[in-house]
Amino acid sequence: MSMSQQDAVLPGGSPGSTVLSRRAKLKSAGYVVPGWLLLASVVLVPLALGVWISFRNGNLLSPTSEFVGLKNYRQLLTSSPFWDAVKITFIITCLSLAIQLPLGFALAVVLNRELGGTRIFRSSLLMPLLLTPVAVGLMWRLMMNIDNGVIDGFLTSFGLPAVDWLGNRTTALISVVLVDSWQNTPFVMLLMLAGLQSLPNGPLEAARVDGATTFQTYRHVILPLLAPVALVVVMIRVIESIKLFDIIYILTSGGPGTATQNLSLLDYRLGFTFLLTSKAAALGVLLTVALIPVYRLWKRATA
Amino acid sequence: MNQRGTPLGKVFAYIFIVGACVTALFPIYWTVVTSLRSRVDIFAKPPVLVGGSFTLDNYRQVLADGQFKASLTVTVYVTVLATMIAVIVGALAAYALARRSSFPGRRPFEAWLILVRAMPGIVLAVPLYQVVVAIGLYDNPTAMAVAYAAINLPFAVWLMVSFISGVPLELEEAARVDGANQFTTLRRIVLPIVAPGLAATTIFVALLCWNEFLIPLILADQAGKTLPVYVAGFVTSRTIDYGAMAAAACLSIIPIALVTLLVQRQLVRGLSLGAVKD
Repeated sequence: MSMSQQDAVLPGGSPGSTVLSRRAKLKSAGYVVPGWLLLASVVLVPLALGVWISFRNGNLLSPTSEFVGLKNYRQLLTSSPFWDAVKITFIITCLSLAIQLPLGFALAVVLNRELGGTRIFRSSLLMPLLLTPVAVGLMWRLMMNIDNGVIDGFLTSFGLPAVDWLGNRTTALISVVLVDSWQNTPFVMLLMLAGLQSLPNGPLEAARVDGATTFQTYRHVILPLLAPVALVVVMIRVIESIKLFDIIYILTSGGPGTATQNLSLLDYRLGFTFLLTSKAAALGVLLTVALIPVYRLWKRATA
Repeated sequence: MNQRGTPLGKVFAYIFIVGACVTALFPIYWTVVTSLRSRVDIFAKPPVLVGGSFTLDNYRQVLADGQFKASLTVTVYVTVLATMIAVIVGALAAYALARRSSFPGRRPFEAWLILVRAMPGIVLAVPLYQVVVAIGLYDNPTAMAVAYAAINLPFAVWLMVSFISGVPLELEEAARVDGANQFTTLRRIVLPIVAPGLAATTIFVALLCWNEFLIPLILADQAGKTLPVYVAGFVTSRTIDYGAMAAAACLSIIPIALVTLLVQRQLVRGLSLGAVKD
């Protein structure tokens, strides 16, 4: 819908009546006022305070805090826990994408073939996505623990050695990625399926007429057409991977040691375990600023 | 788009999809089974996949816990209140965003919605905790509901924009000719038409609120301890009671299982929003 068309049919929006139009615009802005109030009280004001706290050496509740300039930022950027968390966040994001994208796409392709029972398959596959992440973490703790986990039970009954999934640095990180993928691959599948179902018929027919093999059709026709959907999927999954908190908190609490401590967990520990509020606030500001390109990309992709 | 496939390809497709379904469902099955077993069977080696003992003791234990009941009550309260706020505020904002391309504050409002959606929750939680404690609203379920509503506002707005954009403008114009003002038009014409969309938005936002963990973890102690925080308490204690933990997890996801079965189509719409234009 073009902009002028959109405005023209609204009261006061007719071209020429500038005064009326301004009034109508103010009226529209009025509908957003409750939204602004909600955002202001929960997001804008606290975030502004977060910036303020990040330049001080105490928190809002400590009367003796004073301005320390960029000290918190400097200490953060030169500390190894920060760079470890950056690395872990990066690894989790990359591994999650590497698993969830191809798997989600493959599932979407199979569901799209409309074999018998597609609806039951789809419902089953969607279940993990809707569960409370905390409950998901608990389910997998139940299955992965070294004492009586069913996964190790399987392994040992086949004569394989038991694995301390959550107690070993490498496997703990892999476990986090696997559990996240268990819950979120259905999301990728869902969007890819919606994308496949909304493909125009023309190019596919043309490919068939030209005698393209299935592989060629996917490679040269379907994948390029799906690119916009895939971009949105990748963006959402990247953001969610960076945000990942609940599952890690339940599975490993960032451990063993700091093996699964991503930036969210580090920020939580700084703020609420070590009570270094101003440093936690500084990390929050850094994260928000670092995500600016993502916001822009998001706006462009969904516009 | 439907492809011809060889019979062999079909077999592989079936094996793949059935394998995926088993993987998706087994953890849920295993949690339910564990919640219904005695302690001895839970620790059996090798694991007993089907059958085994059957007992409701784990559920009795959880249901007898006063904190479970308190957590259930507060979760319902916070979810209902937050969903109401988010949907009403979201519908109003969505009406302006869907119907007018420019008005004062439109661009910054959209930018803030994206920021709230993309920002890690903990980034907000650190300063929000300070504010909430400073103004004496720590451990207050109503304050938590307001926070939930703000965090889920982007979803509510975007979903409603997509629904309202689908209402023909001619209908509104007709109402206006009949002398209705803009707000009356929204209330009497637009909202009744998008009622199914409103329902979908409500369900989707309620699901997100029900699952919320970080906000209650940080903004509450006892009075505002929601089910996810209560359930999480089972692993942070030193010895894990796996049976009770499984029972608590099952109880906390029963509403989700029901919703999933009843209104899957609407949920799918909420989830795929933004990626695919319809």
